[in-house]
Amino acid sequence: MQKDQRLLDLAAFLLKAAEPVSWREIQEQFPEDYGGKGEAAIRKFERDKADLLELGIPVRYAAGDEDLPAGYLIERDEFYLPDLKLPPEDLALLYLAGSAALASGTFPYARDLAHALNKLSFAARAPGASEAAALATRQLSAPEEGDPVDVGARVEELSRAVAHRKRVHVVYLGAERRHTTERDVDPYGLFQRGGAWFLAGFCHLRQAIRTFHLKRIVSLAMNPSAPRTPDFAPRKDFSLADFATREIWEYDVHGAVRCRIRLDPPVPAEVIASFGPRAKLAEDGGATFVEVDATNEEGLLRHVLALGDRAELLQPKGLREKARAVLAGLERGLA
Amino acid sequence: MTAAKRRKAEPAAPAVRASGAAPSRRASPKAASPKAASTKPAAKASARKAAAAAPRPDPRDRLRRVLFLVPYAVRHPGIPVKELARRCGCTERELLEDLDFLLEVGSPPFAPDDFLDLYVEGDRVYVALHQSFSRPPRFTESEAAALAAAAQALGGEGRERAVKALRESVPRDRRASFDELVGRIYAGAPPARDSVLGRLQRAIAERRAVRLAYHSASRDAETERVVRPYTLAQRFGHWYLYGHDSARGKALAFRLDRIRECTVSDERFDPPSESELARARLFSEAQGEPVQIRLGPLAAAWALARPGVRLVERAEKGGAVVELAGTSDEYATRYALSLGGDAEVIAPASARRHFVDAVRRTLARYG
Repeated sequence: MQKDQRLLDLAAFLLKAAEPVSWREIQEQFPEDYGGKGEAAIRKFERDKADLLELGIPVRYAAGDEDLPAGYLIERDEFYLPDLKLPPEDLALLYLAGSAALASGTFPYARDLAHALNKLSFAARAPGASEAAALATRQLSAPEEGDPVDVGARVEELSRAVAHRKRVHVVYLGAERRHTTERDVDPYGLFQRGGAWFLAGFCHLRQAIRTFHLKRIVSLAMNPSAPRTPDFAPRKDFSLADFATREIWEYDVHGAVRCRIRLDPPVPAEVIASFGPRAKLAEDGGATFVEVDATNEEGLLRHVLALGDRAELLQPKGLREKARAVLAGLERGLA
Repeated sequence: MTAAKRRKAEPAAPAVRASGAAPSRRASPKAASPKAASTKPAAKASARKAAAAAPRPDPRDRLRRVLFLVPYAVRHPGIPVKELARRCGCTERELLEDLDFLLEVGSPPFAPDDFLDLYVEGDRVYVALHQSFSRPPRFTESEAAALAAAAQALGGEGRERAVKALRESVPRDRRASFDELVGRIYAGAPPARDSVLGRLQRAIAERRAVRLAYHSASRDAETERVVRPYTLAQRFGHWYLYGHDSARGKALAFRLDRIRECTVSDERFDPPSESELARARLFSEAQGEPVQIRLGPLAAAWALARPGVRLVERAEKGGAVVELAGTSDEYATRYALSLGGDAEVIAPASARRHFVDAVRRTLARYG
């Protein structure tokens, strides 16, 4: 019997059954599939059970008591998608966030996300306006024709590797795009920054946690052996959210240096916010002074330069001098 | 060949099935079969073997689709094939194949009532209420985790409630795995304060106009806007509110991180029609000329790996000239300066002037 048909028949059978179904009875009802004697048939059934669980269908074994026989069952309460009982605004959040992520063409578990959005209409009493808004979101967020979305496939492959904790072998293009390196990586997680996706993971070549820009992964292969057995456990002290929310000047390049920046009024809130939650702020005579600890001065320099003449690097002296040199270099080229 | 298989070969069978045909098959499933004497399960199984010739994609994909398709079609009797295919994210052809597949799905002992009652008539799909598949199954952990990660990235007051509800809709055995997966995707920091976003979500769900305190980048000043919020959308890593601006009389995009304050009014509005939304764009067609930027080798490698940047030409030693469409002169200047001296704005003239001024004024501060 085709596997998809067997799985669906099995689910229908167990859902319909009034009480747990014994292994012998399952064998009788699916003689061609589980009819064989011994371990092979049981293993096949166990694999099917695991596949059903991956589809969101939990098959349980009940040990049996005086009222019920021992056997397998799918409890209806555990099977059917329940009503999420969310207020309309929370539902709008799920619809909008999910639809935008899906439409962007690059989001981990994109296929799962599409299924989830479909199911959502069953998990709420009145999706109405939110569902319509989600359709519009997809329209608006979809990449225009010609936009490259090849990263989508990488994200999808890597999400599988992350979920199953399988090691990947990557060919990675260096920042200057001149040469590639090959390495094994334990994929810890995927994060998005500035509209681009990155992989964070333990790099066996560098023996450290590293970040990989997905667009620079030239080729990718997931360890094909034992697909259901994890290859690694992420380091306990690793937090993807912490890792992903590091500011550029917090990348681990050198020892921490205290830096000071002056912002002249009017200072829009978004400029202040751009220095992140760990910046110390002070006001003096209308100007705002920002202090951050940088472990990557170059990153801070770029951030401050992008703010134009309303921002000025005060300390350290060396970095201030570098800002001047960069601007002077640009100015010479302007003539 | 069994009855089930033969029916498909009848001239009228593919795509359009007479409503009477399905019951008739199931009323006498074995009548036309040479295997009439065999048990029902065996007859059914052999029909499947015959159908198994063509290679198929991952069987679980189809299962996930049909587990949604059946309850959805039950809830929307007579839904057009085209519409149902769109909802399922597949082609019409795939959908018809799914329906064929479903015709053979039953449960032991495979009596007539154990099969799905479905038919296609005049390009519309009808499925009778099925005792087992009246609702889709629970979220799988990756479905729920993907949705939760997207919701966390957008933020909003209700995101914790939403993530909790999602977690509870995953089968109990898989919740630990849901928790782990949610921690393995980080899709960006929320683009606006929770209160602002929470109110926008409510306004969208209830179709109420909002009053915004909005920082307009083009004028570098705060303005007050009255907007009918249609939806939120994302492009190039930024989130936007898309809605109708009453003073300007047209639909516009507002960046979420520039909305300082938002109040929901009592004014209700009618939703835009689907055709209006079909024409909707986040950005009005590239305002003015695209800005051209010349990049050194390091900056070029970095910039070309980011969205929204179009390569115009390669220069020597890995440098490049790129184009940014629909940006302001101010943004182009900031973009070029963020590349640490390895980039300059070269065209059009106004953008070049803006860049030159900014470099000179900023340099003056370091004199």
